[in-house]
Amino acid sequence: MAGAAALVEADNANEIMARIETKSQKIESLLKHYKHVEALKTALDGSPLTTYDERCKSANWIVVHRAIMAIKDIDGMLNSLAAEYYDILMKYLYRGLSTGNEPTCEQCLIIHEKLIERAGLGCILRCLSDTNSV
Amino acid sequence: MANSLRLYLACIKNTLEAAMCLQNFPCQEVERHNKPEVELKTSPELLLNPVLICRNEAEKCLIETSINSLRISLKVKQADELENILTKKFLRFLSMRAEAFQVLRRKPVQGYDISFLITNYHCEEMQKQKLIDFIIQFMEARYRERNKRLEGVSEHQRTTRCDRVSETVHVKQHLRYYNVTPHCINHSLFG
Repeated sequence: MAGAAALVEADNANEIMARIETKSQKIESLLKHYKHVEALKTALDGSPLTTYDERCKSANWIVVHRAIMAIKDIDGMLNSLAAEYYDILMKYLYRGLSTGNEPTCEQCLIIHEKLIERAGLGCILRCLSDTNSV
Repeated sequence: MANSLRLYLACIKNTLEAAMCLQNFPCQEVERHNKPEVELKTSPELLLNPVLICRNEAEKCLIETSINSLRISLKVKQADELENILTKKFLRFLSMRAEAFQVLRRKPVQGYDISFLITNYHCEEMQKQKLIDFIIQFMEARYRERNKRLEGVSEHQRTTRCDRVSETVHVKQHLRYYNVTPHCINHSLFG
């Protein structure tokens, strides 16, 4: 039983990795056309929250990180981002803050402050209490 | 530089405001015991996800929350050996007087310079907003003192003072920046 579940998980992981690969190519083309907000939305869509596979999570993080670092106009980005993306974006911001890399942390801190003004403290608490991590 | 510090402190403040939702919760394992769950970590359902906020590789803040307690661990930047010694001495001096601070942890968490432990009892006796302001002001005061100290000590003084065996004399002189009296220094350094 456990063996069968592990096999299903592995298949799912391969599917997720393939999806992330196509997503990454789509985001590169969006960034070339300066469509930063669409790139971020694409990166956040379909994030592997429920899987246990670290490779999938790391691969998706790399893609989201690329989209986050490309953003210059943060107010404009948050204006056009739908509220349903706030929680998942907050999770990725905390992941970015835990890396310790200075440019990433700086960008994440700026976005964090602006996001809190819009989403409120509930966003942070949902991020802290959710068992589905990124 | 000042802006990145402001953002870092604002992030920590907002996270603390959200994370400091503590209530009384007696121990599930042992009757009549009431323990801070963040220290023991016996039951995963009582713990929230820990959050690490880094400003850069050297400065970070770890916030771990549970149902009845919250632990904040700070690591501050140390430019060289002299600063490392001074920071250790100063923070050890504070940690030994942890009872006077109430929210200070006697030993910092592994890998960090100083730790605070806030329980539901502290939140009942003291105001939550004031506790958060205390921690933020503590961090701001550390950064201000560090900048003042870096301006006061010249490069030559730093190298000679590092090399000398009897560093305690110079440590005492620098601890005076923190308005620590000689009596307290002797007591903390020599017991």
